Amino acid sequence: MANLNINARKKNSYDAIVIGSGISGGWAAKELCDGGLKTLVLERGRDVKHIEDYPTANKHPWEFEHRGQVPLALRENYGRSFMREETLHWALKADEQPFVQEKPFTWTRGYHVGGKSLLWARQTQRWSDFDFEGPARDGYAIDWPIRYADIAPWYSHVEKFAGISGNKDGLPHLPDGEFLPPIELNCVEQHLQGVLAKNYTDRQLIQGRCAHITSPQPIHLQQGRGKCQHRNLCNRGCPFGGYFSANASTLPWAAKTGKMTLRPDSVVHSIIYDEKKGKASGVRIIDANTKEMIEYYAKVIFVNAGAVNSNMIMLNSISERFPTGLGNDSGVLGKYFACHNYRGKANAQVEGFLDKTTSGKNPSNGYIPRFRNVLKQDTDFLRGYSIGIGAGRGTYTNRDGIGEDLKNQLIHPQLGNWNVSAWMQGESVPIESNHLRLHTELKDKYGIPQLITSVAWTENDDKMVKDFQEQVNEMFSRAGFKNINANDTKSNPGSDIHEMGGVRMGADPKTSILNKWNQVHDCKNVFVTDGACMTSTGTQNPSLTYMAITARAANYALSEFKKRNL
Amino acid sequence: MNTYFCPLQRSDGFYLIEQIKITTTLQYYYMQRRKSIKNMALLAGGLIALPTWAKAWSLETLPPMALPLPTLEGNTLALIIEAIIPESDTKGAKSLGVPAFINTMLADCYDKKVVENVEKSLTRVDNIAQSKFQQGFTALPLAQKQALLLEIEKGEDKDLKDFYSLIKNLTIQGYTTSEYVLTTFLKYEMVPGHYHGCVPVKS
Repeated sequence: MANLNINARKKNSYDAIVIGSGISGGWAAKELCDGGLKTLVLERGRDVKHIEDYPTANKHPWEFEHRGQVPLALRENYGRSFMREETLHWALKADEQPFVQEKPFTWTRGYHVGGKSLLWARQTQRWSDFDFEGPARDGYAIDWPIRYADIAPWYSHVEKFAGISGNKDGLPHLPDGEFLPPIELNCVEQHLQGVLAKNYTDRQLIQGRCAHITSPQPIHLQQGRGKCQHRNLCNRGCPFGGYFSANASTLPWAAKTGKMTLRPDSVVHSIIYDEKKGKASGVRIIDANTKEMIEYYAKVIFVNAGAVNSNMIMLNSISERFPTGLGNDSGVLGKYFACHNYRGKANAQVEGFLDKTTSGKNPSNGYIPRFRNVLKQDTDFLRGYSIGIGAGRGTYTNRDGIGEDLKNQLIHPQLGNWNVSAWMQGESVPIESNHLRLHTELKDKYGIPQLITSVAWTENDDKMVKDFQEQVNEMFSRAGFKNINANDTKSNPGSDIHEMGGVRMGADPKTSILNKWNQVHDCKNVFVTDGACMTSTGTQNPSLTYMAITARAANYALSEFKKRNL
Repeated sequence: MNTYFCPLQRSDGFYLIEQIKITTTLQYYYMQRRKSIKNMALLAGGLIALPTWAKAWSLETLPPMALPLPTLEGNTLALIIEAIIPESDTKGAKSLGVPAFINTMLADCYDKKVVENVEKSLTRVDNIAQSKFQQGFTALPLAQKQALLLEIEKGEDKDLKDFYSLIKNLTIQGYTTSEYVLTTFLKYEMVPGHYHGCVPVKS
């Protein structure tokens, strides 16, 4: 019997376990496998193989039975996200994971191999020290335990592999990276760029750096990926591997090493803490199909379940040593949770440029890096926001009448005027009361305690939205745009899908959960490297930073593993 | 390109496996339905009237996936759709399968109230045709059909207007998203391969 147990334990033992197969989990898997570690990757959703599991990727509009609309009978079984025929295979069934919104919160999840890396907006801007030094300078949250110099080489490392296009803009607050040729700004975006350059010294419009291959390098061809084809059907999965996803890039790379075992349908319950050894010994999962609880063991554990789920797993990992959640000596686990403020949206009409149009499709957009409170505090709110800018020219058809006239109108669409839109990405300041916790009674269908979200906007967020509205009005007016609408959509926290914090990094174990290498302070073989680790939120789309932080931590874990320190 | 909707290649590929059973049953249903219509037509030899909803459908235009709509007045509906975008030297709604598309949409994507209004309105359209032209809608020449529909569009009757607006919008949707219209007239490009941000408008 003892032998049987030893054998069973051996069968389920790995060098490393990575929880989550998305944008950061994929990177952990790749780096650990490249370093020779036998790695188990756990994913709570179903498997999605690159290309073969993108059922709609090459479908034409006329091949969708309901032209994209989802039948009523299917609607009832799902949440609201990805409710199109083209993307319904990513939508979450309503009963998969109910949660309690103590305050309104929008939670978009990607429960399948690759996670949200198949569904992201693919914008990849680096952080700078103006971001890392923010909390210390402005006196909120806690100081980051790392600086730009710590992460810069890892940005380069992930950028080269992922394939990032962009211009070298030379901006100290948005450092340049390893760029493939840029996607171009269109006529109206270029016009606005010129207007800003002429009227302001503090702000620039640049092309957003994005994870699209514009000129494949040998490293991309080795991954079997090619040039972006400008189809803008990214959310269906890209058969060309034109944009970066875990499915197209890191996971197949890790698999090729022969070191990776991918286990889909594995809902992680908790991390097992070995009281004697004083470190984690493995992970408990519930098999999504059989509902059986299974234990897997490893010396190194990477938590990359997506920020909210990583918080839940840590909170649910209860032991004698850690009665309120793994590593929670400080009591801050689940707290200082924040996201990006996407409430401000604007649009306007553009006069002129009627002899010009665009050709092909643009997977990126213009981007105005943060210009508020960069060098010093100059507004009545803390921090600032970046602005996404997109201009375009649509077509319209006259739908009046009937018969031959109508038919003739429909096959001769007219080019419309140019339009321009802007959207804010505001830095939310993490506060203690914005938190996640587990319900003490309600459980989901796997027997895991339900999540409670208690995250709300603050006065700082409100002021920032107002400033965005004023500034966009001013910039658009100076550009000669008409009918400017700059609105506060009052969207819920979480609508940005940039959830961050709750398991934050910090130098002091009394006020943080993770050290500068993303190790749990008092359980050093557990690393949390997704959005949950973020001490503050910056204004940049965060995925690139998660990738770089993960690659850095994974390589540190490898060296510690080899030194037998874990 | 193949425009036939194979039920096993539904866009909700996620549930492909789960739905095989369902789709197989549906396929069977349609096979039977097609057979029975064919048989009815053969047996009838033109003597026995087919149900009115079946008249407008050929075997090709039978919706492959739509659930049965026995109360839907397909005949009048199909001819309304064909009057909105008729055949001419270019293809119209009929030859592009728009009636079948709309039948599918009504069956799957609209709630009962809307579909009931469609059914009621079809009867009312026929009644209007009778009182105005002393024959059913289906028997009217194209110009009279169109005149009648324009009158509804401009009229005051909310139910009829809602009905017509829905059918017109769906007709336009089905027509403009057909392979023929997209590839022949609308410069449809699935794989542009490039993006240029500022090019001259071609006249």
